[in-house]
Amino acid sequence: MFTSNPFADLTAFLPPIAMQVYITLMIVAVALGTVADMLHKNSGKYFAQRLKNSQAAATRELSGADKASLAVKTIAIDVATAGEFCNVQRRISHVLMFYGFLFYVGTTAVMIFGYPTHATPTPMVIPLLWNIGVIMILIGGYWFFFFLRVNVVQDGQPLFRLVLADLFIVSLLGSVTFAFIWEIVQTGDNLTATKIAFGLYILFSTLLFCSVRWSKLAHMFFKPVVAFQRRVEEASGASSLPAPATRNERS
Amino acid sequence: MPTFVYMTDCDGCGECVDICPSDIMHIDPTHRRALNIEPNFCWECYSCVKACPQNAIDVRGYAEFAPMGHSVRVLREPEKRTISWKIKFRDGREKNFVSPIRTTEWGSIKSPSDYESPSQDDFRTQELAHEPEALNIDGLPTLTPLRPRQGVV
Repeated sequence: MFTSNPFADLTAFLPPIAMQVYITLMIVAVALGTVADMLHKNSGKYFAQRLKNSQAAATRELSGADKASLAVKTIAIDVATAGEFCNVQRRISHVLMFYGFLFYVGTTAVMIFGYPTHATPTPMVIPLLWNIGVIMILIGGYWFFFFLRVNVVQDGQPLFRLVLADLFIVSLLGSVTFAFIWEIVQTGDNLTATKIAFGLYILFSTLLFCSVRWSKLAHMFFKPVVAFQRRVEEASGASSLPAPATRNERS
Repeated sequence: MPTFVYMTDCDGCGECVDICPSDIMHIDPTHRRALNIEPNFCWECYSCVKACPQNAIDVRGYAEFAPMGHSVRVLREPEKRTISWKIKFRDGREKNFVSPIRTTEWGSIKSPSDYESPSQDDFRTQELAHEPEALNIDGLPTLTPLRPRQGVV
């Protein structure tokens, strides 16, 4: 079950071209949502202002090699291992969701565009990666939803009182949960159950990718840029923070 | 000077929500980041500023005596047990301060919830919760009960 392409079985009631059009529409929706989000928050304008201010406040010029080194650090620490989180549990949960999402979305696109029917056999590793991605998101996502959400744990809000900040995690978990259920249900012969599970999967996936303007999905595009800029500011002396103290010998 | 949060620096860890004695640091329902919901009620203890691991909380003077353009940034370094303040005036002048903040390891002070709950008998004693152990002494001095002399009262 976990090594066969679940999308190839869909051809019983859905032509491959419909799935390919859907994926294309979702890519367009994410791009439009990200642009709308940036325009709404004036992110570009404020980032340009921050860039200008930091250049004016810089006390030393960074060479190309310095910037390359900072870029590598940003990718290795801030992006690849979610280094911005001070809470270890949140960091692990985020890493699970981050890599799970990459596997899940990447392999979905590969299976739908590269191996849409059983006529083109899918290499076992692709559905396996899709399932690994799904399980990683389920573990990281439900862990975050039930035990790590700060408005619930620290602020004492009820667990199931959903706010706008929950839009991303709820739609992601809905998409992945029903994808998993649909994959399992599809192995039986009940076409109605398969259609219901698949319908819910598509419903939550559409919500996930069409709500970028209101959810935080777009953070994966601009967070690395901000993290890099922060490192540049620290290295060039433009950071507004005090300089690190010399060791407190008396303590 | 009440506090405010740089939302792009905040990672939503909730340390400030836990520590705020006025209970005015909360989590924003749209972005799940911290915010000071009522700056007028901030008694300016700066606990949240000192507790923030991301250095995302800053302080801002009321507009009538501290016009826009100044900044007060704080860097806490628990491994060095210091806290540094950088005050930048509107005209560009800067003042920098460094203070020791701890004599014990960061995180070594137990929270009240880490102690055992008091029993019913503990409520009948004159000692406060976790005394005398929390004061690092063997026992508190007590007064002998008043024994009025016979014939006086």
